[in-house]
Amino acid sequence: MSDTARFPSYVAIWSWLVALLVVGLMCAFLPFGKAMAIFLIFTVAVAKAFLVARHYMHLRSESLLIYAIAGLPVLLLIGLTIALVPDIVFRR
Amino acid sequence: MSEPAHGEPGFWRRYVFSTDHKMIGRQYLFLGLVMALVGAASAYVIRWQLAWPESQIPLTRWIPEPAMYDGHLDPSFYNQLVTMHGTIMVFFVAMPILLGALGNFLLPLMIGADDMALPRLNMMSFWTIFTAAVVLTSSFFVHGGPAAAGWTAYPPLSDDPSYTGVDWGQNLWLLALALEFASFLMGGINFLTTAINMRAPGLGFFRLPLMVWMQLTAAVLFMLSVGPLIAGAVMLLLDRTIGTAFFLPQRGGDPLLWQHLFWFFGHPEVYVVLLPGVGAVLEVLPVFTRKPVFGYRTIVYSTIVSGLLSFIVWAHHMFVAGIDPRLATPFSITTILISVPFAIIVFAMIASLWGGSITFPTPMLFALGFLVTFLVGGVTGIFNGSAAVDIFIHGTYFVVAHFHYTLFPTVFFGGFAGIYFWYPKIFGRMMNEALGKLHFWLTFIGFNATFIPMFLLGMGGHMRRIYNPLQYDFLKPLAPVNQFATLAMILLLLGQIPFVLNFFGSLRYGAKAADNPWGANTLEWQTSSPPPHGNFATPPAVHRGPYDYSLPGAAKDFAPQHRALPAAAARGA
Amino acid sequence: MTTAATVAAGGRIPSGKLAIWWFLASEIMTFGGLLAAFVLCRFAGGGWEDQAAHVNARIAAVNTLVLLTSSLSMVQAHRAVEEGSRGRAATFLLITVLLGLTFLGVKGFEYSREIEHGFTPSTAPFWSFYYGLTGLHALHVLAGVLANAALWIAALRGRGWARVAPRVEYAGLYWHFVDVVWIFLFPLVYLS
Repeated sequence: MSDTARFPSYVAIWSWLVALLVVGLMCAFLPFGKAMAIFLIFTVAVAKAFLVARHYMHLRSESLLIYAIAGLPVLLLIGLTIALVPDIVFRR
Repeated sequence: MSEPAHGEPGFWRRYVFSTDHKMIGRQYLFLGLVMALVGAASAYVIRWQLAWPESQIPLTRWIPEPAMYDGHLDPSFYNQLVTMHGTIMVFFVAMPILLGALGNFLLPLMIGADDMALPRLNMMSFWTIFTAAVVLTSSFFVHGGPAAAGWTAYPPLSDDPSYTGVDWGQNLWLLALALEFASFLMGGINFLTTAINMRAPGLGFFRLPLMVWMQLTAAVLFMLSVGPLIAGAVMLLLDRTIGTAFFLPQRGGDPLLWQHLFWFFGHPEVYVVLLPGVGAVLEVLPVFTRKPVFGYRTIVYSTIVSGLLSFIVWAHHMFVAGIDPRLATPFSITTILISVPFAIIVFAMIASLWGGSITFPTPMLFALGFLVTFLVGGVTGIFNGSAAVDIFIHGTYFVVAHFHYTLFPTVFFGGFAGIYFWYPKIFGRMMNEALGKLHFWLTFIGFNATFIPMFLLGMGGHMRRIYNPLQYDFLKPLAPVNQFATLAMILLLLGQIPFVLNFFGSLRYGAKAADNPWGANTLEWQTSSPPPHGNFATPPAVHRGPYDYSLPGAAKDFAPQHRALPAAAARGA
Repeated sequence: MTTAATVAAGGRIPSGKLAIWWFLASEIMTFGGLLAAFVLCRFAGGGWEDQAAHVNARIAAVNTLVLLTSSLSMVQAHRAVEEGSRGRAATFLLITVLLGLTFLGVKGFEYSREIEHGFTPSTAPFWSFYYGLTGLHALHVLAGVLANAALWIAALRGRGWARVAPRVEYAGLYWHFVDVVWIFLFPLVYLS
């Protein structure tokens, strides 16, 4: 098996990450509406995390069990955050 | 991964810094039992104070001021005892005995492995909780005394030292808890990795003993729920030490945030404690009915469902805390829902008795005791879970009775069932039956007599965590109830003496235990008592499920898991 | 890509890897809990924008670049282990350690400047979360630096390397996780 087939180009992934970093910074300093800017910045963050998880942490070649171990906490956190919105965000 | 052949380890490597899961299990057991004494002692002082407020409490003259004044209890120390009783019992008795001791000792044996996947991590997990216990105990001796804000440590009370008068005690409490969490995180990682990777050949997940399923579910629940509380504990510690503004309103913080973070963990935590106790009972029942557990798969699925549901019920602890009222209904619904899988499990346990050849040695008595008492606890949970009722009974002794009717059954009835059942395997000796039966009856009668009255107290409006009920006119008529409960509790405490005598006496004088004194199927009984280093002389292979008792046409009424199916049965005869 | 450790374990997930992923699951809950609390309190209003304007997004962006690059060097160290090259693994581990120390140094510099300007943890709720989040993260970076340094030393020494080498992958998983936390922390704290 050739090297390029066994290992993705980690440097290429890194360039994407740096590019996304720049995009995120631009979103922060360009004149978008506040809600729009936050949405874009967060999307960029998710994309970067996805790249790191998939390619550097090798999730793309791992089994379902690892996905479950990594994914279940994320789902729980989303649930926790949503449940706390009425009390914490909208406190009297 | 067994260690290579080596010479006999010295005293320290063998008994103190051991990486052998069996020794580590024993260490956890001793830690849990010792801390239970401390927890019980605090309960004694609390209950005496409630029954005869302001009186001189017997046996306490040695406790110095400002905690006690020649046997008279200081109100702040009362709060501290209430706090430490809960903290110690949940984190340093229940979890070490059920998860640390039974889990560690049994898991590798039940799956046919020679040890845990990560033995040195296992050793580290024990020494971490040992350190945590030392830190917590030391908080009794610092200036200001131990933590005083309840085991739930709600801010603002826990956040500002001037509110309780406790400074370092609360910080040490947070540190002890952090260490305890770290210890059980390490343990949980080990349990899950071991069960996934080191099962014997032929041991698919649906041939695992139910105790293993319970331990694994508990591990997953703990691992996924403790994170937000660790975050919260860090925040509370920072609030107390460097003046951050997480929870104190006057600094712009939100006290309700702590409650959410605490109970997001707190609720799964009670199932972390419950499930291994249920597991112990489920292992004991088939052995002493000589028939399979009813509904193995149903129990497994119900356990998984209840584990998932346990993450979405937490706000039922907060119905009257000032949460958005619109949260009350969904959390009431999920709370009522979660009673369904647990009811299924209890029904399965009762059905497991039907038609069995039942005998009543001590482990079985405790298992049956669990069934009876946990039923009360579970049913009263439904009262608490419906928000409208909870508005009245929250913060009263009804809640105290409810959670003692769930926690005590799992830790003491389930835990003792486990200890009496596996003692021969753990220590190689048989315990004394007469002392065991005496222990059971005194515990059963003492426990019920102590806590049934508390349901009545709660419905009468008796609040929790108060120092002197007689300050309130409407509670004065209830004083005899408190006194009765206290006398019953003393009976309960005295009833533990037979156990202490039995436990330590049998180490020395008990009959030597055979490999399989109870005639059980699971793998731990198919090796010597106690098992040798490496657990099995030859690694077993598994050919059947764990509960093949009284198979039709079989010569014996039990069929160990590593015994191959007889040819006739394999042909479908 | 099946790692050497997985092949050695007969196709099962090696115990070390499984253990690290379980550990990361609990860490996701811990950092996630703190981050969720931050996001919620942020949206509760209360003039956090004024306070938040005083953090230096440019310095933090540089730190983000440092951490991203350290993830690259870490995964290259793992690749070197897979390809059997102890020397290259040592080099990449050293680079990761140095980049990690750089991150910590920059963070320390940031803290000192902020404290000089009077922004301490007790100044306002925003600062409580700022120091709490970045401080907890920095502690995790430090732990990772120490672990990687230990592996670097083991790679240099060579004795017992075969036993220790699979741990580069596990340390890498932890290090990437710490990077992912920062990937979320950076925009949430510095850019919004």
